[in-house]
Amino acid sequence: MANTLRLYLTCIRNTLEAAMCLQNFPCQEVERHNKPEVELKTSPELLLNPVLICRNEAEKCLIETSINSLRISLKVKQADELENILTKKFLRFLSMRAEAFQVLRRKPVQGYDISFLITNYHCEEMQKQKLIDFIVQFMEDIDKEISELKMSVNTRGRLVATEFLKQFI
Amino acid sequence: MASFERASPALKEILLRIYRNHSHNQCCSCHYSAEKPIEVDHHLYEFGSVEYHIKSSASAPQLTYLSISTPLLTQGVLLSYGLSPYTTQMVREISTDVLEIVEPATEGYQLTLRLDFSKIPRGKDSLKVITEVSSVQSIILSSQLKEMLQSVNSWDASQGMYKPIKLVYHPREPFYVIRQPHKIVAVFPMRFKDYSDVIIATSFFQELMDVGSSEKWAKAPPCNWSPIPPAELRGEPLEDLSTNGGFVSFDISSRHVEGKRLDKTVWSLLNFYAYVKHHVKCTRGFIQRRMRRRLESLVEVLQNSSLEDDRHIRKFQENAGWQYMKKLVKLSSKSKILKRSCRDFTRKIMRIRFRIKIHGFGRFRRRWLTMLKFSSSKGYTKLE
Repeated sequence: MANTLRLYLTCIRNTLEAAMCLQNFPCQEVERHNKPEVELKTSPELLLNPVLICRNEAEKCLIETSINSLRISLKVKQADELENILTKKFLRFLSMRAEAFQVLRRKPVQGYDISFLITNYHCEEMQKQKLIDFIVQFMEDIDKEISELKMSVNTRGRLVATEFLKQFI
Repeated sequence: MASFERASPALKEILLRIYRNHSHNQCCSCHYSAEKPIEVDHHLYEFGSVEYHIKSSASAPQLTYLSISTPLLTQGVLLSYGLSPYTTQMVREISTDVLEIVEPATEGYQLTLRLDFSKIPRGKDSLKVITEVSSVQSIILSSQLKEMLQSVNSWDASQGMYKPIKLVYHPREPFYVIRQPHKIVAVFPMRFKDYSDVIIATSFFQELMDVGSSEKWAKAPPCNWSPIPPAELRGEPLEDLSTNGGFVSFDISSRHVEGKRLDKTVWSLLNFYAYVKHHVKCTRGFIQRRMRRRLESLVEVLQNSSLEDDRHIRKFQENAGWQYMKKLVKLSSKSKILKRSCRDFTRKIMRIRFRIKIHGFGRFRRRWLTMLKFSSSKGYTKLE
């Protein structure tokens, strides 16, 4: 892994370890309701300052924390048009199946490619360290998968082009 | 286009079946085990608006009538009515003994052929002849293109350049052929409905250019892709030149049209659009399959994080003692669990139905309100 990626992921990991201190907090506005405050943003006293971690202009991570929930939004690097459509397709595919991931948001935050929403209930059901490991591993896997997909598409194109040109010989 | 193969697979299979039935009857004609000749009346529809009609009667089993309807290659605004003498000559040359053109053609079809299976040579040659007959549609199209290329003079003295010839097979997919003294340039304007199709196709065209320009493929026609119309198409209408997939051009030299290569080259050019669309569709399917597989592995990581926790707790509880172990790990069989759950469910239903409880009513119901059983335990009714 490149040095910059390692530093980027380490920074995200450390930030998540500090930010993922969630506790149950019922809604202050509507009784008997319990909502993730990071989504509503109605009570500023319950929100912490959002942290933006940028690897470069194309890759960044926004971590927004509140008392009972945490939202992580990622922008994945897209070097060319092919990576752009592959990223869009793949992340949309995952978002549509968000129930399988539990912590994944169905719609990414505007300006980002994919978003996670972690609540205090997730922290109770799952181990905090494992959750952080999952997020970091997910980021690595997405990058790797997009690169492999791009390479596979180009390899397929090359094979098909070879087969087409064989007909002329 | 019916398929990338020249011979239609479905037509070939039907003709082979008729031929085998006919040759089997011929062999067994002296024995009583010969099968009765069958009537055949098939209508085949293939991709690209191609229609075949195969008819064979029991009274003349050796004769089969094959009618074909296919969209013809047109030259821009000049519509093609029927087949030219050159095309009918090329069709006749498939097999002069076996095949005969019937005039006039069956209504609704452009060409009707009478096939005499008794004249087909035995052995491996029979398969070859039937395969050639099955490729009649490709022969019609190829001969049309060959005729157009041979007869048209595209030199435009007023403009001092070679004028492109617009050929239309599919209404929305015209392509251009520019006939120059030493080569023929075929230009394909590419259009796609979806933006992602454009990107996939563009990467394919770039690979095509890379492969074509390598030393190993020097004999293949040079291929070029550009997002803007090439200089040869200057002066053509704007609606024909507005594309989202760019322009792909092939430089066909004399080497690619010598002898048997002419048929292959012509067929490849006619099928280029279908080839690209097929590749784009297969690539999308491949991406979808790969994403599904990756989803399973990504979810597994998250599930393992919670599963490991459960395993950890269970291990702790196992260490706590044999009593806890017995309670936690229920060793009852699946059938017992199912019976127990059914019993619980029935009890729940009964509790819901019989909400009002009258003391003693249960005994009254069991004694006076139960239905008499007419079937005896002995399995028969004793008459008194």
